[in-house]
Amino acid sequence: MHELEFYAIIDRTYPWFPPADDRDSIGIDLSNGVYDPDLGQEVLEQVVDGAQLAERLGYDGTLIFEQHNTPLALFGNALTGAAWLAARTESIQIGAVGPMINAYLSPVRLAEEIALVDALSGGRLTVGFPLGIGAQYHSMGVMHPVHARARFHEAVALLHRIWTEDGPFAWEGDFFHIPYVNVWPKPRQQPHPPVFIPAAGSRETIELAAKYRFTYQAILTPLPVLLRNCQLFRDLCEENGYESDRRQIAAVLGVHTAESDQQAREEIERHALWGAQNIVRFQFHESFPPGHVSLSSLRAMMSGGYRSSDPSQVTWDEMVAGRTGLIAGSPETVKQRLADITGEMGAGRAIVAPEFTIPTWLQRKSMTMFAEEVMPAFRPPGAKAVWQRQPRAAYQTASERVGREPRRAGHPVVSVPGQGRVDLY
Amino acid sequence: MPPSTAGEPLTEVPVRRIDVRGLDIAYRRRGEGPTLLYMHGLGLSQRWLALYERLSRSCDVVVPDHPGFGDSASAEWMRDFDDLVLHYAELADLLGLGTFHLVGHSFGGWLAAEFAAFYPDRVRSLTLVTPLGLRVPGEAPADLFRMGAEARLELMFNGRAGAFLGPSSDEERLERLLQDYADLTGFGRFAWNPRYDIRLDRRLGRVTCPALVIGAEEDRVLPASHIARYAELLPNARVAVVADTGTPTGHAIVAEEPEAVAARIEAMVGGQ
Repeated sequence: MHELEFYAIIDRTYPWFPPADDRDSIGIDLSNGVYDPDLGQEVLEQVVDGAQLAERLGYDGTLIFEQHNTPLALFGNALTGAAWLAARTESIQIGAVGPMINAYLSPVRLAEEIALVDALSGGRLTVGFPLGIGAQYHSMGVMHPVHARARFHEAVALLHRIWTEDGPFAWEGDFFHIPYVNVWPKPRQQPHPPVFIPAAGSRETIELAAKYRFTYQAILTPLPVLLRNCQLFRDLCEENGYESDRRQIAAVLGVHTAESDQQAREEIERHALWGAQNIVRFQFHESFPPGHVSLSSLRAMMSGGYRSSDPSQVTWDEMVAGRTGLIAGSPETVKQRLADITGEMGAGRAIVAPEFTIPTWLQRKSMTMFAEEVMPAFRPPGAKAVWQRQPRAAYQTASERVGREPRRAGHPVVSVPGQGRVDLY
Repeated sequence: MPPSTAGEPLTEVPVRRIDVRGLDIAYRRRGEGPTLLYMHGLGLSQRWLALYERLSRSCDVVVPDHPGFGDSASAEWMRDFDDLVLHYAELADLLGLGTFHLVGHSFGGWLAAEFAAFYPDRVRSLTLVTPLGLRVPGEAPADLFRMGAEARLELMFNGRAGAFLGPSSDEERLERLLQDYADLTGFGRFAWNPRYDIRLDRRLGRVTCPALVIGAEEDRVLPASHIARYAELLPNARVAVVADTGTPTGHAIVAEEPEAVAARIEAMVGGQ
């Protein structure tokens, strides 16, 4: 069996709002008047519990998304959430997918946040840069869908330079002019934390991931399109002069493991349908604000790719047949489907998501069965998580710090009256 | 279907093309007399409206598709109205329009207002028909970005868009959807955020030519307060509301009431 790294998505939906019915979407104008702070606290604490559980079960990473203006998930700032999750866990990789770059006025601010969370977590941050789904462009005030792609690409180029070149340097871009780029601190992981680029199928985004040797996080696409995109990604890596690592393709899959296939269906069918009917319920114009996609991509999508049919009308059979990347069944079924899909994709990472609304006891049961009866098959002998096999970036003891012989570029001196310049230490 | 609102394509006016320093621009032009440059609104590119035909009896009518709209190429480098205004100045030079009467509808009205503020000496008269572009606190226009193409047209036509568009096949609907997305992107490039230009409040004081602001009886896109506000800011402006004897007029009066709108514009051109 090929090896896989496992990231557990631990987001939870705030489900206490009226049925969608004839509302256009829940992504823009479902009033936050329906939010109750006690119920919200419960959801947020469930996410923290999920991270701790994932660590105890031996997942390689845990992952939260960044969402705006929606009860789908409550982390409006994934990096802030990641900082908290890092503080409440010890060893597991913390995925924040992630900051919407275009919601930031300056990529420098984002670079600072990434470096800080990575440093404080001991080098456990994985950061993802979604372009942001269309609906989110209505509610941030600074995001412009027509310029989004160009600004996003420039910001990623600047972040990459921040990570790979010492400052200060001048950035003279189309969207950002920063005379002195000189970000402190640097990330704990050098030269930078792992980067995931979620892409639903836009060639421009896949090109970006290949160019910087980031991970292509393949989302929400019918399987045949997904497989084409994975091959495209590998080809683009070659065009950039290197052979892609399997871990650079991450499959995003809904996974539910139970005692039997029938049991799995009984446990989550209603939740899966609810999610389809409420969470991905976006009309065309909400998904695609002006300029959010190129006309050629749009034409391709409308004739067979992503969003060519209404995702809210999906049935259970279609979901488990691959339309939404859902795997549900006995450990044996899950293992087989997972091997098949990630095998076909050539993926070396699996980002596994529960339905965001299932009871936490059920989520715990599914995650535990998955960890005990599925994950070991995709790991080297011993079945340890990556963070058990490889030392983390941060030292863990003072002794280890000294042993690393850190480089001191200068020594502080102080002028003391009567003594002249003396060493501070 | 009354002939004034019919969707029959007036195809006898050929599309012409002009290269504006590398930008391939489509325009339609007909008639003799004083030159009238017309700036179209959202959803109304690629057309020779009955209004233009009517105006061409007494004017040299020039109707370009804006960059990124209709048959014109898109200009990725354009950021702001400044770029668009400069583009139109160059286009007018290339076509040798000299000074001209300027008419704009909806988004085109906003653009015409910007153009007139930058080049007041080039504009002999300014007619703004249900123009976007101003901030009137608490009176925002309808959010045209939050509806599909058909819903948007129905809003502009007060539910009568079907008569304007005529029937279409599935294939035509897909092509129309793609064209609408292109036009909406052209619109969004300039008008996504902010959806007004507060600088117009001061700049419009530069536009001293005769101006007319035309409103509708029941504009479901643009509150009537915007018509009044434009007239307040333009030093030499009057207001006209184009009415229909039957149903109340809407945002798309240029398409639905060509006779009445043309008569108002002709009066401006004739200096009355």
